Amino acid sequence: MSEIVREKISDGVTFNFISDNRFKTSRITAALFLPISAETASANALAASLITRSCKRYPDFTSLSRRLDELYGAALYSNVRKLGEIQALTFTAAGIDDRYALDDMKISAQLTELLCSALFDPNIENGAFIESELSGERRQIIEEIDSEFNEKRLYAVKRCIEIMCENEPFSVNRVGTKEKLSTLSGECVYKAWMNDLKSAKVELYMLGDTDPSSTLNGFKSAFGNKSRAIGLSTTIIKKADGVRRLTEHQDVTQSKLVMGFRTPYAEPYTDTAAATLMCTVLGGTPSSKLFANVREKMSLCYYCAARYDSNKGIILIDSGVETENIEKTENAVLEQLKAMQAGDITDEEIDAAKLALKNRYITCLDSLASMEGFYLSQTFNRRTRSPEQKAEEIFSVTKEQIIEAANAVSLDTVYVLTGKE
Amino acid sequence: MEIKEIVSEKLRDKYYKINHDSGLTIYVAPKEGYKSSYAIFGTHFGSVNSNFVTNGEEVTVPDGIAHYLEHKLFESEDGDAFTKYAKTGANANAYTSFNTTCYLFSCTEKLDESLRILLEFVRNPYFTKETVAKEQGIIGQEIKMYDDSPDWRVMINLLDAMFQKHPVRKDIAGTVETIAKITPELLYTCYNAYYNLNNMVLAVAGNVTPEQVIAVADEILTKKDEPLNTRSLFPNEPYEVGKNFVEQKLSVAVPLFQLGFKEEAGDRRLTAKELAQTDILLSAFASEASPLYRRLLDEELINQSFGFEYFEEMGYRAVIFSAESHDPEKTAKIIKDASCELHKTGISEIEFNRAKSLVYGKNVAALNSPENIATIMASFDFAGRELYNYIDAVAAATLDDVNERLRSQLDADNTTLSIVR
Repeated sequence: MSEIVREKISDGVTFNFISDNRFKTSRITAALFLPISAETASANALAASLITRSCKRYPDFTSLSRRLDELYGAALYSNVRKLGEIQALTFTAAGIDDRYALDDMKISAQLTELLCSALFDPNIENGAFIESELSGERRQIIEEIDSEFNEKRLYAVKRCIEIMCENEPFSVNRVGTKEKLSTLSGECVYKAWMNDLKSAKVELYMLGDTDPSSTLNGFKSAFGNKSRAIGLSTTIIKKADGVRRLTEHQDVTQSKLVMGFRTPYAEPYTDTAAATLMCTVLGGTPSSKLFANVREKMSLCYYCAARYDSNKGIILIDSGVETENIEKTENAVLEQLKAMQAGDITDEEIDAAKLALKNRYITCLDSLASMEGFYLSQTFNRRTRSPEQKAEEIFSVTKEQIIEAANAVSLDTVYVLTGKE
Repeated sequence: MEIKEIVSEKLRDKYYKINHDSGLTIYVAPKEGYKSSYAIFGTHFGSVNSNFVTNGEEVTVPDGIAHYLEHKLFESEDGDAFTKYAKTGANANAYTSFNTTCYLFSCTEKLDESLRILLEFVRNPYFTKETVAKEQGIIGQEIKMYDDSPDWRVMINLLDAMFQKHPVRKDIAGTVETIAKITPELLYTCYNAYYNLNNMVLAVAGNVTPEQVIAVADEILTKKDEPLNTRSLFPNEPYEVGKNFVEQKLSVAVPLFQLGFKEEAGDRRLTAKELAQTDILLSAFASEASPLYRRLLDEELINQSFGFEYFEEMGYRAVIFSAESHDPEKTAKIIKDASCELHKTGISEIEFNRAKSLVYGKNVAALNSPENIATIMASFDFAGRELYNYIDAVAAATLDDVNERLRSQLDADNTTLSIVR
């Protein structure tokens, strides 16, 4: 159960298969990995949206949605995310297994067909995406960027990253900018898409109680015989040179404090288990130092959490506080980090963080989407590990390694979003 | 003790319903081959239960007390529950809704121990002046976080305007002023009134057996609870909405709205059959493949944030549409006009068939997740519904049933529009 089988189709193209009969659904995903840049991010994101909105066979959103409904609520969707400084475009078809249909509908076979129609037979005319489709998707992505402004916790984290990584590709929004989006024509988005298909590193996933042969063959003919994926990497800044501070004002009730830290730990350059565990002890669970002290002991906030990005090697700590408590909270966070650097960590704290991480990894095994995400996030790691193996790595980390990792952390940027003066 | 095995041939699944001697209703859904389990222990007590008669005495408690109680229950004389869970690796949490308070965890090992922790801390309240005072700052910041959340505000404003008397109008967490009035004595009053095993449910799904859960329940719930002697008091809610329109200014880049169609609340919860009919009806009317959705997209009024839900409990019912939109008023008008049209024409066979297949497939897919299964079993128990009955009712629904159901829903003359911009 749940063993991943990886088969190389060509250089830069791998087919991943997980055969698992515990679920009532199956899913297929094609993931394209491209370097992220301000120049190309918007066109790639817009192409990804257009690809799963319609295709030659189902030429508009309504006819495609109707077909998906008939296939018992099957899904066909794309997603754009960042993995370090790499833009990942994913295209997924998912649906319930044939044996659960109320009639003799063959759902599984159609999932491959739908995904391939979307990817390889898009809705284009004269070498361009159709204008009416394009304008609809463009508007929706622009509104998505706008809605990031609406949720202040997410917005503050995003701003901190933009400021901290100002001169690095990591600061590019996963879908690019509104300005760039509004200038793109159907022709240039289609060109970008053709280029993506040719040059991207590709990971294909098939999961469920399903026969991979027809899907594998389809993908082999589409993605075989091409070399690709040169120069995909993320730059790591191992140490901050001083602390940058920025405060912005909006009409808000609660102030948001976001602290960005550098670490020298990131895949594929170094192991990341010690940094992962260190960050979890510091602020990854309700028994972590930040939760226990900044929230429970000092009653300063409702949330105060630390997240480590193992693809970029940075840590973000964020909290929502009273304006007059911003400095106090910053100091409290730094004090907890200092405690860790000084070795003030109990065995209970370490064991708790290890168990919490193990629980998180192993739980992934009970969902097809989580399993896929677990493996997809390791695309640029030196080795592919199963959830069990990852848990073992965490368990082998020593207290000394945690202290060493804590001492390698340096504060880079402090961002504050607060009310109007 | 009575143990009932409930099997669905169609869904190839089963679960157990146990009437435990202590008065507690227990559901256990074993999922073969799963690594994780999800447990939820809930009481039928939420923010709306602020006025009640218990043991012959009428009590009115401050708004937000159910949520406050949820926070404080985690603390016992011998430490807090999170510290105990830290030893098992379980990922624990809790939430308070308008009508329930639920304590939950997911784990991949030591299920028995985590279950013991869950039952122990929920059964053993420990409220002191000091611990109650400490929480003011934490919950105060939680309230302020929600004050800045446009998604939350647009909903709370809608409910406040749509309902005239029912306490569902009020924010779940109360306000900084109301929670200042909460005392240990008031918390005990609420606890004793509603945390009665006859008013509670325990649901566990995933890597679990009924024997396991019964053994822990036998060990901890040794005393049978007296029959519930509490009656919630609710004012009579008129059919008509309080206000048709409500608006708030917040720091947002794109406006948000919710449009509520208020209904006759009736004096009972909806049956599984009625709920199935409503779910099909709403999907036929407004899901992505519907003519209405198409119209709203073509007019550039909505994006992927568009959604709808049926908001139903004892004493209130409404259909709620929500989205980000640059022109909420126009969007609302189109939805209302479409509902008038629907009452004239009825749902067509084509829309009915695809909606039914969509709703059925989504429900089958949801049975992959222990979290979904446990959560639905618990919430259905409070409503007197049963999971497989509901899915069977979706499969058995006819066009005539759904058109009949439509007659008491989507009254365009009884709506409220809430906007945040």
